[in-house]
Amino acid sequence: MPKRIVHALLAFLLVAPLCAQTPLRVAAAADLEPVLPPILDEFQRATGIHAEATYQASAMLTTQIQNGAPFDVFLSADLSFPKRLIEDGLADAAGSADSTTPITYAKGALVLWERSDSHLPPPSLDLLRSPALKRLAIANPDRAPYGRAAVAALQSLNLYDTLKPRLVTAENISQAAQFVDSANADAGLISLTSALTPRLTADGTYFVIPRDLYPPIEQGVVIVSNTKQRAAVHKLLDFLLSPPVQAELAKSGLTPVK
Amino acid sequence: MSAMDWQAFALSLRLATVTTAILLAIAVPLAALIVLGRGRWLAAVEALATLPMVLPPTVLGFFLLVLLGPRTAFGRGIAALLGHPLAFSFDGLVVGSVIYSLPFAVQPLVAGFASVDTALVDAARLLGAGPIRLVSSILVPLARRSLLAAVVLSFLHTVGEFGVVLMLGGDIPGATRTLSIVLYNQVENFDYAAADRTAAILLGLSVFALAIIYSISHKRGVLRGGRDA
Repeated sequence: MPKRIVHALLAFLLVAPLCAQTPLRVAAAADLEPVLPPILDEFQRATGIHAEATYQASAMLTTQIQNGAPFDVFLSADLSFPKRLIEDGLADAAGSADSTTPITYAKGALVLWERSDSHLPPPSLDLLRSPALKRLAIANPDRAPYGRAAVAALQSLNLYDTLKPRLVTAENISQAAQFVDSANADAGLISLTSALTPRLTADGTYFVIPRDLYPPIEQGVVIVSNTKQRAAVHKLLDFLLSPPVQAELAKSGLTPVK
Repeated sequence: MSAMDWQAFALSLRLATVTTAILLAIAVPLAALIVLGRGRWLAAVEALATLPMVLPPTVLGFFLLVLLGPRTAFGRGIAALLGHPLAFSFDGLVVGSVIYSLPFAVQPLVAGFASVDTALVDAARLLGAGPIRLVSSILVPLARRSLLAAVVLSFLHTVGEFGVVLMLGGDIPGATRTLSIVLYNQVENFDYAAADRTAAILLGLSVFALAIIYSISHKRGVLRGGRDA
């Protein structure tokens, strides 16, 4: 490469970060990974504010924020993690009716997912009762909101004790989905957002677990109190709760709250 | 530590012991082949044996999950042979750990064998030593320190292994829930007091085990390269 080009590149790399406006840093629960990117793109088109999202398990993001991770807003997959941050004095919901309660922006739906080429019956509550179901993948019930919901649903069906030895526990729902998609597990209790991704839509079918079988998976958002971009965060929250975006969430497998 | 943690601790020790034994059986001949053999393909062999270090462990675990699963002929063959699928079982973790820790067994041995004086190797060859004799009487005794390093690194790397186990294991108590998984769960569940205890015991016992291994090898002169071993 000619020297001049190298110098120009170096100059660009040094100067570029100084010119760019600091983006809004969004800590987002892993189940939002298939949902959020187009919404953030629309947000940038509508407001000119560039938002960058980091997708992780809600528990992991909570630990990171507790230890000073530079996020501006935290979209959790449940209410317990944002509540924990509010109790620690690290986050708030200022601007809403009650600044000490996370704002619920959507509700999650639990589904039973199975590969289409499985030799077992199609996904249904009967599949969960079938002795032919040898391995059922769930997310870790100690911390993954969908794992908690999965265990609650099995308990409501009086199947938890029967199925417990046949459960394989994944770190999060996307890993649980991989256990099933690679055919190592027969079926999995995962999020509707995962089941609606192109890959899983192509490979399998799902059954929506009746909502009265588990406590609602309310997904809450909080503002990280240290943020220097509070106005921009509020714009993002208003955007998320606006009817068109809520309708879009519904298409991706989340239940709107408005 | 609770009974559950001790179960996990015993499982980690068993996994590391079995893995280290299998790794030695694979890595000594492989390293000897790389050092003694001729031909360009040996460079490819050495590169392949180092490759597991490049992949993020969870990704390696994911590939193994797919490879060993019932969707490949290989996975179906192994399942038929063993009578059960490899994923989510102790045997599956052994396969994963052997691949994951392979570079940590092969690299020290290659370095050790390569540093043995070629005059000695040539002399042994002239005296009619075959490859097995060459390895067992010349290379291994003269590269004792590298052998020790390979054993220690393989063992510790397997005890601390996390991503592959997370992906391939399914967190089943007594079968695939190793101590590093327990420790990770404790941290993730905000149970820092328990995590501190588990980590302290893990670190304490590792230092203790290493001290024993190194003191034995000092006494036997392994580290000085003496002839009394």
